[in-house]
Amino acid sequence: MNKYLSLRNRSGTVSFLLEKKAIATFLVLVCVFIILFLGGLSVGSTMLHPIEVIKHLFGLGSGEYTFIIETLRLPRMIVASLVGAALGVSGLILQGMIRNPLGSPDIIGITGGASFAAVLFINYFSNTFSIKWLPLAAIAGAGVMSLLIYFLAWKRGVTPVRLVLIGIGMAAAASAMTTMMLVLGDNYATSQAYLWLTGSVYGANWQHVYALLPWVLIFIPLALLFSKTANAQELGDSVASGLGVSVQRHRFGLLLISVALAGAAVAFAGAIGFVGLIAPHIARKLVGRSFGSLLPVTALIGGMIVFLADVVARTAFLPLDLPAGIFVSGIGAPFFIYLLYRNRHQ
Amino acid sequence: MNPLFPHTTSKWLGLALGFCLFAASFVASIAFGQTRIAFGTVVDAFFHYDQHSTEHLIITTTRLSRAVIAAVIGASLAIAGALMQALTRNPLASPSIFGINAGAVFFVVMAITFFSMHSLSQYMWIAFIGAGVSAIMVYMLGSLGRDGLSPIKIVLAGSAITALFVSLTQGLLVVSEQNLQAVLFWLAGSVAGRSLEMLEPVMPFMAAAWGIALLIGRSVNILTSGDDIAKGLGQRTVAVKMLMAVVIVILAGGSVAIGGSIGFIGLIVPHIVRGLVGVDYRWIIPFCAFIGASLLLLSDVAARFIIMPQEVPIGVMTALIGTPFFIYIARRGFNKE
Amino acid sequence: MIQKRNYLLMVMAALLLMTLVVGCGANGKQEGSAVESSNPEVKTEDVQNNSGTTNAEEVRVIEHAMGKTEIKGTPQRIVTLYQGAADVAVALGVKPVGIVESWAEQPVYTYLRKDLDGVAIVGLETQPNLEEIAKLKPDLIIASKLRHEKVYDQLSQIAPTVTHETVFKFKETVQLMGEAVNKEVEAQQLLTDWEHRVADFKGKISAKLGDGWPIETSVLNFRSDHARIYVTGYAGDILSELGFVRSEYQQEEADKGTVVVRLTDKEGIPSMNADVFFVFLSDPGQDEAVQKTYEEWSNHPLWKNLDAVKADQVYQIDESVWNLAGGVLSAHMLLDQLYEHFGLEK
Repeated sequence: MNKYLSLRNRSGTVSFLLEKKAIATFLVLVCVFIILFLGGLSVGSTMLHPIEVIKHLFGLGSGEYTFIIETLRLPRMIVASLVGAALGVSGLILQGMIRNPLGSPDIIGITGGASFAAVLFINYFSNTFSIKWLPLAAIAGAGVMSLLIYFLAWKRGVTPVRLVLIGIGMAAAASAMTTMMLVLGDNYATSQAYLWLTGSVYGANWQHVYALLPWVLIFIPLALLFSKTANAQELGDSVASGLGVSVQRHRFGLLLISVALAGAAVAFAGAIGFVGLIAPHIARKLVGRSFGSLLPVTALIGGMIVFLADVVARTAFLPLDLPAGIFVSGIGAPFFIYLLYRNRHQ
Repeated sequence: MNPLFPHTTSKWLGLALGFCLFAASFVASIAFGQTRIAFGTVVDAFFHYDQHSTEHLIITTTRLSRAVIAAVIGASLAIAGALMQALTRNPLASPSIFGINAGAVFFVVMAITFFSMHSLSQYMWIAFIGAGVSAIMVYMLGSLGRDGLSPIKIVLAGSAITALFVSLTQGLLVVSEQNLQAVLFWLAGSVAGRSLEMLEPVMPFMAAAWGIALLIGRSVNILTSGDDIAKGLGQRTVAVKMLMAVVIVILAGGSVAIGGSIGFIGLIVPHIVRGLVGVDYRWIIPFCAFIGASLLLLSDVAARFIIMPQEVPIGVMTALIGTPFFIYIARRGFNKE
Repeated sequence: MIQKRNYLLMVMAALLLMTLVVGCGANGKQEGSAVESSNPEVKTEDVQNNSGTTNAEEVRVIEHAMGKTEIKGTPQRIVTLYQGAADVAVALGVKPVGIVESWAEQPVYTYLRKDLDGVAIVGLETQPNLEEIAKLKPDLIIASKLRHEKVYDQLSQIAPTVTHETVFKFKETVQLMGEAVNKEVEAQQLLTDWEHRVADFKGKISAKLGDGWPIETSVLNFRSDHARIYVTGYAGDILSELGFVRSEYQQEEADKGTVVVRLTDKEGIPSMNADVFFVFLSDPGQDEAVQKTYEEWSNHPLWKNLDAVKADQVYQIDESVWNLAGGVLSAHMLLDQLYEHFGLEK
């Protein structure tokens, strides 16, 4: 029986190969996602029965909990899932690009640039402008920083190595500037900025969902279109060129997608770390290395990590509502240790 | 690329110059500050000390301790960086890039949060442990995969570990407003407001580490020519590496315990020094000490004047100076090493 | 077949478009999202004539930092989301059903514990738990634009929400809350009482000090690794109102809008100079380190040169009252302490 399923359009510009096993895994994950999502919707300061939640979603509920489910929990969990998915895919693209499993959106300065812009905004502009402009400032910061890094890394082309190195250096510089603003800003700004830097989906509403949705719905499928290239680039620049891939252009394209996804995610959830690092790893363990299969799985896993972290954050320490970022790191840490443990013999 | 001081005689000359630079920076750090003090008074403070003079008191307490601490940290970080670059054969190695600073910071913040430790001598040990743990984690993470420890892999591992510890630290501080405000300055890196007494518990270790670093210069030279060659020459590479690692952890951990997270010194000073004296670590180590100390001292002086009477955290100064340099090295690539 | 180059251009155009969408979308036209002028006036329009008696049908419109809110009748179940508001509620004789945790002496400041016994805690001032608030079924929420701008819409859906511009201007809080809970008479009384006391204090102190009045004050704070001068803020504003002045340097900073000056080096001590010092030590969990820092700084020769030190006018005061609580009761307590320090009869 054929292990693979191949999808291609007539001219061959778009093609990817899917393992049937991967499809099965994906479907299982979708089910897991739905179950956990429902669980998340039921849990919180007021514990609801999952059946009650399902009834509400289909409009048959008693109306008593509509506010909690529809206004508070649902948008928050959707934003969390979208953010996680975007970060996961962004990390996946970067890891493929630099051919190293430790890549993440941080290294191309997205988080650093967005953090700097966000803290700048909170410190100096939040009196003049409504806080609703903060996501825009953050995305702008991410974009500017990424462009800067790209140009600094350009020397007759951009190699992954140079990109990473410059990215890390600039991230350190951005971090220092951000810390300076934290230290010298006034107390209220510092608290708010620090919350943002930890990463939180507190206060997410439907406006945020609608603003974030286009980014995710456009760029993730777009990434899928590049999967042929991504797989080839993974083999190395010379091999890829030999296979007919215009490496520099596609690299730019993939970078763009990665920045767009991570930038949008960070804009709405603050500087949540790790998802971009861990989600692709877990996905690889489940479905192997083909980009076409990895992408949807990574998105699902990334989304799950973030919304689960948020559920824990708003439930574990009642009545406090803590930033989800804390718990994403809480998941990240054991994961790293696990990673080290499993590979200790290498 | 020929070093500036190619021959042994010129190296001694260079070292003397380095010492002069260090001395000048030290004096500058003592002489320049918010309170205008005439140079003559500075001299008097040491040779004709008058305990009733405010200015003499300022010099011998605030300014002296600050200068000494900056010198100690600057020298330590530079030496640690040089050793790290030799150990990992990676020109971009440094305590901050490799997450050692972040690890030490996290462990100290944990100690403050959960064990209410407040005195430096207590959290000095914690900082050592934190530095050690993160070093191990970075090493292991960077060795994953088929081709072992490559420069880029370890840099990435360092970035990942830094991210890990930074976010865990944030997690601890975001829930405790009071703790956050308390450690904010230290997090950003600071050599101000610390008395010489604070240096006492740490000093023996740092001094010992410096001593060891100087003594193993020759072994490090052999090591840098490659593991196989070193083993062939009869060196016990594992022992040397372990020793280097211990020295690095003490120097980096101690620096973090006193001054918080100060980056880039460990990165750029070894590069400058290699340009001056070549690749002989018997020379590199002492040069690093002088130049590292000078750099941090001068950064500190600058940090005092920009937003007087407030100060720019020194970690920010070193980042601002270090980043263009870092980018230059990164663009140049690894080929020349 | 689409050229790859045009493809790229399309992507960039799409990105630009979406950035605009994010900016506008996240800012959508909604009630209460308008940014009002920085001096909110609290106006009340009565549907029916009101001379102190309230009619359950009456709808009042309150203008506040984030727009206009309608309140029906007299609210009974109030939730306060910042420190000062809880204090003012007690002063107005209203016991809230929910408050946020205090910054020190958690969960409630000692001086308020008796009056706030049994009141539910809804989380931290920076991220109050929306579900907890909803659970209490309040009919009025007092929030702060500085802290809660992001969740204003969701709060408004739980209950009518009015906001104060910052958190520490207690007189505005009194006015705002008086309007909101339909106790304008009591609120006015509180403000008049305060004004009387201020006038009384001014009279007595200028009588006592004669030509020496007005005197310069500094509000100093020592922490475990640095010291602060609170130039404006809660205590600074009250002191100004009472007629105290700032040193030239501090007045410059205040004019620039600085609230806090942070000093890391003892050489900054001269900028603390004034005739009288009010000192509070922070970080209660770290008493030892803070105490040690204070001792080091106060033993320094530059400190001994300061006017207040030479005149033995250094007073240790209580952080909760002078900096954290931000209410009207704490303001009276602050004033009481001042009467004591200067040896004036109340």
